[in-house]
Amino acid sequence: MKRIWWAGWVVLGLALAQGRLEAGVYGVSGSLASTLEGGFTLEPGEVYGKLQVGQESRGALGLSSSLALGPLGYLAYGLQAEMGVGGLGGMAFAEGGAGPLALAVRLGYRPKRVFPLFPEEGVFGRLSLRYRLVPKEVVGLLLERGEVLRAEVSYALREEATYTLGAGFSGLPYLVLGWKGEVGEGMEVLDLALRLGGLNRLEAGLYLGEASLFLTLSYPFAGSLGVWLGDLGLEGGYREAPYAWVRYAWRWP
Amino acid sequence: MRRRFMEKPWGILLLALGLALAQSVSEILDRVERNLQDPWQAVVQGQIQGPGGQEELKARVLAIPKENLFRIEFQKPGSLEGNFTLITEKEVWNYLYLTNQLIVSPKEKAQVQGLGFSPQGLGDLKGLSERVSLRLVGEERLPEGVVWKLVGRAQEGQGFATLELYILKNDPRPVRFVFRDEVGKVMADLRVVEFKKASLRPQDLKRYPKDAQVVRR
Repeated sequence: MKRIWWAGWVVLGLALAQGRLEAGVYGVSGSLASTLEGGFTLEPGEVYGKLQVGQESRGALGLSSSLALGPLGYLAYGLQAEMGVGGLGGMAFAEGGAGPLALAVRLGYRPKRVFPLFPEEGVFGRLSLRYRLVPKEVVGLLLERGEVLRAEVSYALREEATYTLGAGFSGLPYLVLGWKGEVGEGMEVLDLALRLGGLNRLEAGLYLGEASLFLTLSYPFAGSLGVWLGDLGLEGGYREAPYAWVRYAWRWP
Repeated sequence: MRRRFMEKPWGILLLALGLALAQSVSEILDRVERNLQDPWQAVVQGQIQGPGGQEELKARVLAIPKENLFRIEFQKPGSLEGNFTLITEKEVWNYLYLTNQLIVSPKEKAQVQGLGFSPQGLGDLKGLSERVSLRLVGEERLPEGVVWKLVGRAQEGQGFATLELYILKNDPRPVRFVFRDEVGKVMADLRVVEFKKASLRPQDLKRYPKDAQVVRR
């Protein structure tokens, strides 16, 4: 009886806290896995969790907090602990911006990848720094060891739309071209990025408010097409084998 | 004995004067509120003591007072260009251009430090007057015309200690804000220019890029 009371209080507490919950089913090569992601905003910060249960299962529990500087900037930081197939893992992260500088850094370890919620394997990390030289020009540096190993520098110029030119290295040098701009009256956005050379990938995102569309195409061949229709997310593609992922998100209050 | 007799009427007179002036402040703010009922826009510009020392600030203020909606679009300093702050009845939204994030906070949690002044106050004078105990110190002549000068001490945690507020007399609206710190150093000296009535809709003020990451605190 005491246990039921406890469970009741926990459920009530989480229901009253601001939160989100995303539940999904991921299917690849005839096997299914369920995915669950959730986050609850509490007074000192956010508690979040991720869980994938299938042929290989893994779960993570994280704590994040943030510092808001009004119109000057925002910084979020946190820690995540993981367990599941292969053993324990974890990650630390900080991301945000203040004035002319934006930063995103993460460093973690995971003995075995479990796609799609836990895509990296081994020691993985990412450092992204962007600096606003003048109001319309931003330079960036990206170092990443994750699904790919790469280093990239870029320059972005905003003249109505934002044009990006960059160069990177991932085994071989590659070129970065980007275009991002408004495509409607209501601040709908189209975001295109092309990488050619040592890394070959086209990424496109169309953001319409109630609906968003995503496309990625890579060589050696991999690709995905996804859409979010309000709270429903549908994704399908090829990644060593064909896959599909259906998700539904709840947000409250 | 004689002195005490003299002190009494003086005390009463001062008290009466104090009450009259206190009443004038709320009367002045009421007049401003009545004058600024319809949607309006203006440019706020001047010097601020930012994180990188003294900087020039320029921002466009858009207001729909009846809906309790105020939007401040930053144009200078360059590091804030493209950012905006939106104040609604219960929330403060801060859009950050560089990280493409919209940070939504409840009003009571949305403290603004580091600018040396309160951007919220530039549009929402009534809200500002709830956090600063203002009193009328007299009238002055500014280039815009004759103004009432109000001064006051801010509650804790506003990012500034005292405020001087200048209200135009013949068209009651704020024309100058001077924010100071504890030792009286000017943190921000801002003038309101290019004031005009405008046809604005709530959806115009709530616009943000559809690909922005929305963070609720």
